[in-house]
Amino acid sequence: MFPRPIEKSSFAVRTLYKLSLPIALLIWLLPLLAIFMTSIRPASDIATGNVFGIPSSFQLIRNYGEVFAKTDALRYLFNTLLIALPTMIISVALACLTGYALAVYKFRWALPIFFLFVAGNFVPFQILMLPVVDMSNRLDIINTVPGLVMFHAAFQTGFCTLFMRNFIKALPFELIESARLEGVDEFKIFWHLVLPLVKPAIAALCVLIFTFIWNDFFWATVLLRDDSTLPITVGVRTLNGEFVQQWHLVSAASLLAAIPPVIMFFVMQKHFIAGLTLGATKG
Amino acid sequence: MTSPSVSDRFATSKTRALVAAVVIALCLYALQFVTIDGMQSLLDVTRQSAARVPTFFVRITLLLCALAAAFIFITSLSFYKRNKVAVAPWLFLFVGLVLFMIYVIVPIFQSISYSFTRWDGLYDINGVWTGKWVGFHNYKLLFQDPNFYTSLKNNLWWLVLFMLAVPIGLFIALFLNQTVTGIRIYKSLFFFPFVISQVVVGLIFAWAYNPEFGLLSEIWSWFFCETKTNIVGNLTRVCSPEPPSILGDENTATFGIIAAGLWPQIAYCMILYLTGLNNISSDQIEAGRLDGAKGWKMLRHVILPQLKPATFIAIVVTVIGALRSFDMIATMTQGGPFGSSNVLAYYMYDQAVGEGVGRYGYGSAIATVLFLIMLVYISYFLWRMYQDEVEAR
Repeated sequence: MFPRPIEKSSFAVRTLYKLSLPIALLIWLLPLLAIFMTSIRPASDIATGNVFGIPSSFQLIRNYGEVFAKTDALRYLFNTLLIALPTMIISVALACLTGYALAVYKFRWALPIFFLFVAGNFVPFQILMLPVVDMSNRLDIINTVPGLVMFHAAFQTGFCTLFMRNFIKALPFELIESARLEGVDEFKIFWHLVLPLVKPAIAALCVLIFTFIWNDFFWATVLLRDDSTLPITVGVRTLNGEFVQQWHLVSAASLLAAIPPVIMFFVMQKHFIAGLTLGATKG
Repeated sequence: MTSPSVSDRFATSKTRALVAAVVIALCLYALQFVTIDGMQSLLDVTRQSAARVPTFFVRITLLLCALAAAFIFITSLSFYKRNKVAVAPWLFLFVGLVLFMIYVIVPIFQSISYSFTRWDGLYDINGVWTGKWVGFHNYKLLFQDPNFYTSLKNNLWWLVLFMLAVPIGLFIALFLNQTVTGIRIYKSLFFFPFVISQVVVGLIFAWAYNPEFGLLSEIWSWFFCETKTNIVGNLTRVCSPEPPSILGDENTATFGIIAAGLWPQIAYCMILYLTGLNNISSDQIEAGRLDGAKGWKMLRHVILPQLKPATFIAIVVTVIGALRSFDMIATMTQGGPFGSSNVLAYYMYDQAVGEGVGRYGYGSAIATVLFLIMLVYISYFLWRMYQDEVEAR
């Protein structure tokens, strides 16, 4: 292990290390803590300049309740779910198919197509923006949630394919080979043999895609204009403009927008990290 | 005994193929009757927009039915049965590849072609394109546009300063790579900022930078301010110098946003390195220790070479993150003050769909330049991947 395990150091160093951990964490998360404190203090505190001290009263429930009552936060959150869940299902499902095709079959186009997915995954959004807007306009799905889902699903298929293909490539190929020799149909091999083996990859991708889409801002601003379709990220930005003098509400709404991905992360931590660190470990 | 069964196995299943073909034809035929007007009268809704989503779903369902039927049709053909291994990958790829082509690959080329036109994104009443072919005119304008150079310069700053995320991430990873109790929770809490949406991070930092009641002004006041009683008898804060307005100042706005962007990016690099450190072979570390390598020397000569894959991914995601920076600029400054914190990504958006502008051609030219910059990194990444693939064979 590197650096040298701290247990082998002297008592003083160990204590120092254990003390420095919470301090470092506190500094690291200071902006977040501060905004949390703001979100539970009454508006009068901010007006009188008590922004960082102990809140004069704790209004956790009242402030967050007010966000739901005064704004469309609930609908924004629901819209985000409507966008994120179908996207997650479609793109992961498609990537299982494409990833399988690119990993298992040795045909001439396998590598070029794989690189096409990888390259497309990295392009700047702006180069796609206008044609996608134009196409959505002409298909008459602009400003609708399904229209946004279609785009997200197509785009995320690139990343999912990259992940899935590498995952399936690492599976023992003899398994598939022997099934083929027994005359099992290609689709049965996929469904009964490979799909159960890639469950961890599916879990990792689901968590990641859900978080990516939940946090998406750009495409929602470009493809959705109608207030009733907006997701929470755009909603929070709008609130920021509307409630200029009500920082406690804006911060509460911001934190609300952050909660679902955070829960997702803590519950599915292992899968989340496995997804993000893809390729970072193999030599 | 066996010969008929073998030929059976490769024969076209005629009934299956026929039924599937009929279903395909029916679905495609039905598709042309699913129009918004039709759905509007069917659902008895007055607004056309209310009929858009149901129309879309019916269309998609019909398409999916046709696809499924096409799949059954192909798999019942004798040709497929003979050439399974050659045909099957294309069946697996079809939907994903077509969707990706339509939404990602083709638009790249469309955008590039837009950049040679003057167009406001509209069609005339007959659906005819209203743009005009102008050759390299947009690029000529672009290279005379001071805002473009500001954006380009800021993009360079982003690229350079964002790279700090890699060493800082490594540093934090080294700091946290211990096995004391509760370290797992510390690791996940350090990773926390990455999970939060960039919009929220932007809002948090915009507030932290606020010179009147933000986090930074509070810290500032510990050093430079004193509380005085003014003439009316109220307590006021007098500071000298005044707390800086980071996002309001042309010279500092970009750096304020970059600092905010670094926060989640460092967390990402940290997690990459933590995973990398986890997989380092302990034999080599022990061998290094026996050779007397310690601290910096050990890091430089034993650890970093083994962390190469992690470093590679960290640099790739950081470059892409730097060039994709949009959300934070949109939430924190919207390119201001006076366009001083613009980057290509935001400037393009502003020119193309910003309020009252609608310069599709010009916006596409900016996007093309951004794409070309990114293409350098994409090519490098693909080249590295290709090397790995060749090696793996």
